[in-house]
Amino acid sequence: MNTHETQAAQLFLAHHDFVKGVALKYAPWPGLMEDITQQVFLEFLRKESQWDLEKDVRPLLATMTRHIALRLWRDRTREKPEVVQKLADHIRMLAEESEALPRYEEEISVLRTCLQKLPDKSRELIQLYYYNDIGTPEIADQLAMKADTVCRALSRVRDKLRDCIQRSLRVEGGAHA
Amino acid sequence: MPDTHIDTLIQHYLDGTLTEDEAARLHQQLTLAPELGARLLDHVAMDAMLRATKPVIPLPSARPGMVPKRRFSAGTLSGVAALAACATLLLNLAWMQWKTPPVGAEDTTASIAVLTQAVNLQWESDTMKPTPGSPLLPGWLRLKSGQVQIEFYQGARVTLEGPAAFQLISSGEAYCRHGKLSAHVPPQARGFRINTPRGNIVDLGTEFGLNVDAEGAEVHVFDGEVELHQGTSMKPLKQGEAASLVTPGGPSALPANAAAFASLRDLDARSAESLRADFERWLTLSQARNSDPDLLLRFDFQEALGARTLHNRSAHHRDVPDGSIVGSAWTEGRWPGKQALEFRNVSDRVRLTLPEETSALTLTAWVRVAGLDRAFNSLFMGEGWGNRNVHWQITRDGRLRLGVAGQLNAGHQDYDTPAIFTPERFGQWLHLATVFDPVAREVRHYVNGEQQSRAAIKTLFPLRLSLAELGNWNNGTRGDRTAIRHFSGAMDEFALYRRALAPEEIARLAE
Repeated sequence: MNTHETQAAQLFLAHHDFVKGVALKYAPWPGLMEDITQQVFLEFLRKESQWDLEKDVRPLLATMTRHIALRLWRDRTREKPEVVQKLADHIRMLAEESEALPRYEEEISVLRTCLQKLPDKSRELIQLYYYNDIGTPEIADQLAMKADTVCRALSRVRDKLRDCIQRSLRVEGGAHA
Repeated sequence: MPDTHIDTLIQHYLDGTLTEDEAARLHQQLTLAPELGARLLDHVAMDAMLRATKPVIPLPSARPGMVPKRRFSAGTLSGVAALAACATLLLNLAWMQWKTPPVGAEDTTASIAVLTQAVNLQWESDTMKPTPGSPLLPGWLRLKSGQVQIEFYQGARVTLEGPAAFQLISSGEAYCRHGKLSAHVPPQARGFRINTPRGNIVDLGTEFGLNVDAEGAEVHVFDGEVELHQGTSMKPLKQGEAASLVTPGGPSALPANAAAFASLRDLDARSAESLRADFERWLTLSQARNSDPDLLLRFDFQEALGARTLHNRSAHHRDVPDGSIVGSAWTEGRWPGKQALEFRNVSDRVRLTLPEETSALTLTAWVRVAGLDRAFNSLFMGEGWGNRNVHWQITRDGRLRLGVAGQLNAGHQDYDTPAIFTPERFGQWLHLATVFDPVAREVRHYVNGEQQSRAAIKTLFPLRLSLAELGNWNNGTRGDRTAIRHFSGAMDEFALYRRALAPEEIARLAE
């Protein structure tokens, strides 16, 4: 890598959580965020000679991310049954129309602390599902629960984490005010 | 249609397992109750963040026996190529990917014996050069001078005196082309066999001496009984008897001469004396090594009994603080009387404070690796990770690694040797050295003074030292859990230089 490429890669890495937030807004499809981020990185680096890296690159990254998100969204949903495509488009429309700004950057930084505050059972569930990649039916089997109960339990844990993140951000916001 | 709860529908959406019926129902509910849309988006965002917090090192399953779910649907497979390409281009961000060995896979060894003692040892230049504690593979040992004791895995113990050419064949068999040896063969090793150019000796549980030279071979039995095989003839030889294997027609009888092998029988005492002499020589050299002007930190581990501080012996950098011992217990080092610190538990470490930066760096240590229990086994690690930080470590698959974090936390570079720490090397004292050389723009790794690898430095910048630990790692943040990276083994010397040591300097340190 030459110096400019290295600088471009470093700049991207400094903003990759921002890119993820934008990706989530325009393509709220599970697992798609990482793919979009990686594709943005590739295209950002491929054209690095065109970019003025002295300027704020966020507007540029946001535009690129939006285009790529829409493209990958189409690729990802094209093969789905019509009823699933309609649902997906509805969800994407909801996300696009949402007035909330992407908050991925600030939220991911406090999520880890919130994870530590979870009760043991909730943390075990997160570990099984997200970190050990165990599916909900298998978790249900092992824990002698109904699959539906596991789904709801995961949902409750995410709700708890959402509450915790919002509380933490309110506290931090107040402290800086 | 069954009345599926909205949380279950959302979960199935996140899983990618929605049926068409469920998709229709979720769509309907989102249309009828727009507030559900915000809830769904919250869960999609939280799901994405949780996936992003997944540790790069796979965690052990919280519940043994559970199998991972399939993450990739046909739809997601299209992203795999991009993902793989990015993994490389993102400056190796996926630096800690760990390949889990297949379930049930076990390490194996081809070693058949171990070198247990040595006195005044000098190997020929074209042979393997094991040190005490080294497991021995089948092959030639060419001893120029001195004596070594070899214990075969079947139980036989051979003391060999140089000059000698001795071939290890199996855990119960060897070939002596020339040299003098004594063998002790306990009942468990009955049948132990030593072949010579003049004939073969099969031991029936005894102690005997063998001398092979250009003129012939002599076998002297001190205890028990051996069989001499020469051509098709076999001759038993009992305690107090000896035989010459010069004559083609068969062995000729001689009286056993224990005095001729006396030099091989007091190896323990002479080995202890040799160790003491080595230790004294090290103590003398140690003083001289402290006066290198570029030596920022040197621990010789020779502290008062029960000490919890390692004194920096550098003569020119007294300003670099001593190290604080946390957890680690004292143990014996390379020689009787030489002290070492043992790193065994998660808490064991030595805390260091170093100057902020250096453009060149040499790290050296004498270590005895007990095992590679962790994905990253710390020798010396800067606190946290990022912004030009340095992590000197051994990976679980046995590579010596200098990890250097990129500037501004962007990317990083690992400089690795091939896998050199095999189970055969565990338990031996080894001298390790790694040089970050900004002039040659390369990183060099050495084991026992011999260069193992060299790799070009891709991006050059000053290395950040500051807070660091020997034998462990602290992630430097509050609240978060810290990955376990403690070293399993012992260390009895450590040095850090702010210049790139030359290969001959490294070789001298390893002597």
